Amino acid sequence: MNTLDAPRWLADHGDYLFRVARRQLHTDELAEDAVQETLLAALSAQARYAGDASPRSWLTGILKHKIVDLIRRQVREIEIPRDADGEEAVDRLFQQDGHWVEPLRPWGNPQREAELSQLRRVLDDCADRLKPVMAQVFSLREVAGMETEAICKELNITPTNCWVLLHRARLFMRQCLELNGFAKVGAA
Amino acid sequence: MKWMPTCKETTELASRAMDEHLPFASRLSMHLHLAICKNCAIFARQLQEMRRLFRVETTANDDAPGLSPEARQRIANELQNKLDT
Repeated sequence: MNTLDAPRWLADHGDYLFRVARRQLHTDELAEDAVQETLLAALSAQARYAGDASPRSWLTGILKHKIVDLIRRQVREIEIPRDADGEEAVDRLFQQDGHWVEPLRPWGNPQREAELSQLRRVLDDCADRLKPVMAQVFSLREVAGMETEAICKELNITPTNCWVLLHRARLFMRQCLELNGFAKVGAA
Repeated sequence: MKWMPTCKETTELASRAMDEHLPFASRLSMHLHLAICKNCAIFARQLQEMRRLFRVETTANDDAPGLSPEARQRIANELQNKLDT
């Protein structure tokens, strides 16, 4: 690979990198920043690109670090609102005695690519609707696959807060997905 | 915790189990509850399902919008600036 390849990365992989970043960062603006920083970093580091990975997976590896950087910056900027933990919203899902208010329905098992891509869109819409701090923690864990301990440390929040945010994000995501077509119709 | 956790408590345990290894007693009481509660068993399965769907990174067939022409141009300019220096 020589320097002449750099503009081609944008042409060949720009959309792909943007979509990956968009899923984790939830805004176009941040996702664009992530793509730009990734390509600039790749340009500086191209001497270290050994060529044993495809350019796309090499770029994706750099992108992951940039995404974590951007989320870390974001979370520091966000004032965590008092109701960010959504305790009341969680309470509405359960009765006083701790039983579910509404019965849960199993999800289908989509295999076709068209169905999967539609479900992924619902998934992304629902993630966009979480409160920002919840969406960030959720993304780091479920999309980026970081360990919870590392997330707490990176974001400088206590393990308890981190875990409460994650749990509530999962409860709300599950509910949102079910309301938006994940539930199997007439489930067996 | 009582010998049998409530649904609300079980969802907390199931969620935590996605992130770390639960202590034996917690794991046992969670599985006791999951064995007899259809709703929570569905919930626990859906946590796994969400993770599986989210972690699929190949978006090759994804028809989600890509970079806007403006953003693409801006990034191209930044790359060119850097190449020129």
